[in-house]
Amino acid sequence: MDDSLERPSTLTSPGSADLRDQDDENSSGDEDGALDWSKLPPAPGRPVIPKRGEKDFEPSVEGGSGLQLHVLDRARAAMLEALKADRNTSSKSISYGIWYPSISRAHATVARGVHFGSMGHSVPRPAPSNAGEGSKIQKRLELLPEEALYLVERGTLFCTRESPTVKLNAPGMEDIEGAPMTVQQAFAEMIGSEGLTLEKYQVYAYLKRLGFSITRTDPPTSSYPSAQPFASVTPPTSLLQRLFSWIPSCMARIRQLFSRRFDWWKPLRIGGFFHHNQNMNSVFKSLRFIPSGHSVALQPSKNLAAQASPYKIFYNLYKPSTPFRKTAPGPPDFSLVIINARTTPMPSLHELAALFDVLPEMPPPPPRQRRPLPGDKTPAPAATPKQANELATTAQPGFTLSTLFPWAFNNKEPSQPPPQVRRPNPFVVLKSGKKSVVVAAVDTGSISFFRFGQGAFEEFPVV
Amino acid sequence: MPADRVRLRVSNQKAYIWDIDDIATVRAKHNICGILTGTLPHLSQQNVFLGIPLVLMPEEVVMLVEKELAVIIDDPRAHHHPSADSFQRYNDERIESINLQISLTGAKEVQESTHAGRAMSDEAQRKRKAREDKKRAAALALAASGSEPLFDPTPAAAAPPAIADTPAAIPAYTVTVPASSSSLPWYAPSQSVYTTIEGARRAGVWVYPETPHERAKCGVFRGLCESGYFMGGGIRFGGDYLVYPGDPLRYHSHFVASVHDSPTSILRPMEIVAHGRLGTATKKAHLLCGWDEAKKEVAYFSIEWAGFG
Repeated sequence: MDDSLERPSTLTSPGSADLRDQDDENSSGDEDGALDWSKLPPAPGRPVIPKRGEKDFEPSVEGGSGLQLHVLDRARAAMLEALKADRNTSSKSISYGIWYPSISRAHATVARGVHFGSMGHSVPRPAPSNAGEGSKIQKRLELLPEEALYLVERGTLFCTRESPTVKLNAPGMEDIEGAPMTVQQAFAEMIGSEGLTLEKYQVYAYLKRLGFSITRTDPPTSSYPSAQPFASVTPPTSLLQRLFSWIPSCMARIRQLFSRRFDWWKPLRIGGFFHHNQNMNSVFKSLRFIPSGHSVALQPSKNLAAQASPYKIFYNLYKPSTPFRKTAPGPPDFSLVIINARTTPMPSLHELAALFDVLPEMPPPPPRQRRPLPGDKTPAPAATPKQANELATTAQPGFTLSTLFPWAFNNKEPSQPPPQVRRPNPFVVLKSGKKSVVVAAVDTGSISFFRFGQGAFEEFPVV
Repeated sequence: MPADRVRLRVSNQKAYIWDIDDIATVRAKHNICGILTGTLPHLSQQNVFLGIPLVLMPEEVVMLVEKELAVIIDDPRAHHHPSADSFQRYNDERIESINLQISLTGAKEVQESTHAGRAMSDEAQRKRKAREDKKRAAALALAASGSEPLFDPTPAAAAPPAIADTPAAIPAYTVTVPASSSSLPWYAPSQSVYTTIEGARRAGVWVYPETPHERAKCGVFRGLCESGYFMGGGIRFGGDYLVYPGDPLRYHSHFVASVHDSPTSILRPMEIVAHGRLGTATKKAHLLCGWDEAKKEVAYFSIEWAGFG
């Protein structure tokens, strides 16, 4: 066989380029990707992400023609060649760590490189006492299993496994405790600790390779810096505020007691001295007598408490462009749920509702800029008529005449907010939803990301 | 352990292949692809091409072991504590190779410096000195004129010797993070090898298949594989498998297969419509595979959107 064809590095060999051109004519544009490993540059080359190649429709009779078999062999050889690449790093830039299986953490003894800007957290641990004195508490940098495994896998971290008996010598630095771990051993031992599954690790590594910063949503220990849970985003209310907010709701209850019973057959209540001053909004409001919206609690389902839901937010995700401080991460750009697609069915309505309950409401997507007006700020969709009314009532201090004697003032609609300059496009807002969560479904190794958004249809009556 | 069988390293009920030769074997001889899931060390910031380990679908594992083509190795138990003796030997070898590397690079550097000695030549040093003198004189003149000098030139002059000292300590060498454990002297899998699914199940190492649906999937997978097809995961196409006529590296898939547990399992018309619609849109036919547990047979039906009119 031709020597230039034997070697898989086809970037330079003109002979195989001809072969590839022939293949291109047979392409039939499919959606499942055609990986062409022969376009991968050889190991020491500059890291260039190669393009995907083209595939044939099917092998011809008897398992493929000579050309097909040859091209297949070449593709396989190129793949295997790429897989053989070693994880080599200069001793000046490699980091060192010791894996402690008992606490599921890797202690980073030497931390070098940009990765530690978004990985690892410091933990106070009793330092090993050398002279038999009482152990001193010292802070040290520790890595979660997924962080350690990712760094080991890309060859950035040389990890040893905790062992009191053996010490690894390295020229130019102190002895390292423990025996060196291979990537294989790290996969076998680190996955399965601290709630990490292979699916979760695959998603973690996938997003890490793309440059995202990732933290756990539920801090595994108290010393792990994690974003504030969303519940505390709302400002704490003072006692006085709570008293004031309590009064109107109390009034509303009294008002309900005095007002006439709601008639399902005549929801409009036209008659008497109510019928004047009716406008579209109030008609729609009184016609909507079936409770709607996500603030209304779901009917409890029977088998809800049967088992714990696999739909739990596991990771907080920060875009590469978001400024990220690992000691004080801000609110995440995305919340990520990771499930095993082989064992987990679609989320039920209750599972989704439970997910959305802990998430914050997002501002609507910014309207497309046609001509930027100075000072034109689109108000949040909360300022729709229905909620605005509620806001207006709660904002008033309790003891006005209308709250005391509501039946006498029922015909009086609270004043509408001034008409907005530009309403956001309802379809864009509905599509993005007020809350959203990303679900990663992993089937053995293929990861599919889905975004679930909670649309607020009740806030956009299409009239 | 039979030497010719593929070694599947199992931990947490997941099977990995770490040996490149085994990856080549399952692909070329047994029509098994698996999914590469690791980071390629020299292309570590992309997701298009991934490296070892190769993760296998559970059906692939069951078929390989049942046909006596592979063995299951309980990987966490195969890694032992190194004895002080064997570790000492390993460590000595390692130090030796590092020292060899250092001496090699050292020799190379000496060679380079003798060849490209321009930076150290007398003329260059004389010129450099003249430049520095000039700079210092300018700074002095500036100080004499009364304005504050922005930068003090003296530390800059003192800095070069300090830098020159550091390379003498320990020259850089290459550290390799080993991928496969087979090279470690304390990796001994012989005690934790299982040649049958039953044996591995008794030990709790491997439990798949457990349910009738999982058994049906194993049966269908084996049936298709023995007819010469290659299989990949079909989750992105609404099925269980993608069925390829040849190696997925070179050929497109023709079918999306979905597995049905028994000849009497319920199939809703909506499913047929959805499968037919999706399959046609992606230039594939949908394959309904019904598993008959009693006869151990598979019945296949394909659906295509006929598109009259």
